[in-house]
Amino acid sequence: MAHPPPLLDAEQAAFISSGLSISAAACQPGALPNLARATGCRVSTDRCTVTLLLSRPASAALLQDVADNGRIAVVFSEPDSHRTLQLKGTDAREVGLEPGDPARAQHHVDRFVARLEPLGYPVDVLRTLLACAPEDLAALAFTPSRGSFQTPGPEAGTPLRSAS
Amino acid sequence: MKIALDAIRSCLEGAIPGQIATVAADGTPNVAYLSQVQYVDASHVALSWQFFNSTRRNILDIPFARVAVIDPVTAAQYRLSLQYLRTESAGPLFETMKAKLAGIASHAGMTGVFKLLGADIYRVLRIERVPGATLPAPPPRHNLLAALRASAEQLCRCTDLEGLLGQTLDCLELRFDIHHAMILMLDAAVGRLYTVASRGYEVSGIGSEIALGDGVIGVAARERTPIRIGHFAADYSYGRAIRNSLAREGLVSTGHEIPLPGLARSSSQLALPIHAGRQLVGVLYVESPLEQRFGYDDEDALVALAGGLGAAIQLLQQQGTEESGRTSTPDAAVPDTLSNEGQPLTVRHYAENDSVFLDGDYLIKGVAGAILWALLNDYANHGRTAFTNRELRLDPRIRLPDLSDNLEARLILLSRRLQEKSAAIRIDKPARGCIRLRLARPVELVGIIASH
Repeated sequence: MAHPPPLLDAEQAAFISSGLSISAAACQPGALPNLARATGCRVSTDRCTVTLLLSRPASAALLQDVADNGRIAVVFSEPDSHRTLQLKGTDAREVGLEPGDPARAQHHVDRFVARLEPLGYPVDVLRTLLACAPEDLAALAFTPSRGSFQTPGPEAGTPLRSAS
Repeated sequence: MKIALDAIRSCLEGAIPGQIATVAADGTPNVAYLSQVQYVDASHVALSWQFFNSTRRNILDIPFARVAVIDPVTAAQYRLSLQYLRTESAGPLFETMKAKLAGIASHAGMTGVFKLLGADIYRVLRIERVPGATLPAPPPRHNLLAALRASAEQLCRCTDLEGLLGQTLDCLELRFDIHHAMILMLDAAVGRLYTVASRGYEVSGIGSEIALGDGVIGVAARERTPIRIGHFAADYSYGRAIRNSLAREGLVSTGHEIPLPGLARSSSQLALPIHAGRQLVGVLYVESPLEQRFGYDDEDALVALAGGLGAAIQLLQQQGTEESGRTSTPDAAVPDTLSNEGQPLTVRHYAENDSVFLDGDYLIKGVAGAILWALLNDYANHGRTAFTNRELRLDPRIRLPDLSDNLEARLILLSRRLQEKSAAIRIDKPARGCIRLRLARPVELVGIIASH
């Protein structure tokens, strides 16, 4: 049976991997939602799987929620343009790190800082905020099943169409 | 250890945007960026509601949220567990957030997109520190409590309003390192504020006016709440405020308005209402060309300073009212520097708004204009140069809004305007409760009853 087409088109897949501000949320019935910042992400070549890199100590409660029910929401925002995309999935699960993931996380921080430095944000604060020792990295994979544009303005909330 | 909300207020200045996580009725999580998290009190925050979106829908269905905020100096992260209580779409908190959002929107290039629909008020259930590295906090720029204490002691010793206003500006400059400030008094009868003292501008702007509700100063006065903006915001700039004031009154500029002092491009503005008891008497305004110059702690310190200033103004006003009955009789005062030599100075007075022009040059209007006109008429008709505050309070020609009006402030305004215009007319204060008219040239009085 053929897989459904990926939700993300090639441009969107490149966009979410381009050193953006990334935050994820998860929840359990009857409890407050949990959230955490991600320190990088990768998209599978078929664009069907998005994998977030997170600091395990800073996202322990979120990882627990995901382990329980697989539901996740992730927002990707480009700080300089405010272009924002939210993806949701119901099959999120922790996966093993790939060999290049620590370098990928470091590259993400470098690109993120390079975007924000011209806007006057303090570089050392941003680096500290996203710092994660390689041994603390965790990876969380999911299939984006729904998504919406969230750039502030009249288009906010418009759903992403499945790329065919 | 329990983390107190007021201990992490620097995270709520919006320097690094926070995020909010909510849950839909079907259990789907949602996460979004926040423009603004406003400290309300030790156990409440308010979030800006700007759009009908998933966060909004979720919070109305399931009123619990988690918010992440970051210390912009140390990078410490905190998560706040929140319970949604209600939305306010008018009033002091709403206006405080609306003004701040205008600054944030301008800074983010989102002017016209970010529009405050409501202030969503949340109870803070819990605050937790997120594990992670932090930077050391630098020492504070200065100790605000020490500055406040020294200022309070200094202001307590003031014995007249002019001294009090001047000392307040001194304290701001020397103790708080604030170099651009002004003090405006309220003319409640006409719903306007007029500048009585300023510091740090090319022109003093004494006598300049602003309507309630216009700009940072006018909104602070109308809502009786501090208004603080950390970025340049065109919507709250002086130019806009002045144009609004004129437009509201159906006027175009006559060229006679005294320009409001102020930085052309103010990046940090803080306006604080001055209360005497329950009454608003004026506004203390400070600004800076630096972005985010004033934080929550500065606001707290200056609210306390404005409180002391208001109490001192009230005390001096009461003393003035009581003592004006006991002063020496006007006739006993000795006139000096009266001159009948030289070209007469033409003083033109328009009854419709009590505006006064000296040789065609605009001087002042309103109550201060009426005072000067009354003094000059008494001089012209009866040769009087000495007057008491008490008689001015009761003089029907001056039409003070009520007996509790701050006559002293009107006299400071008039005296300063005459000085600044290097006018041949001066008024001064030989003793408490007395004023004296001094003329360096003869005057010719022209009263104009109606403009048509």
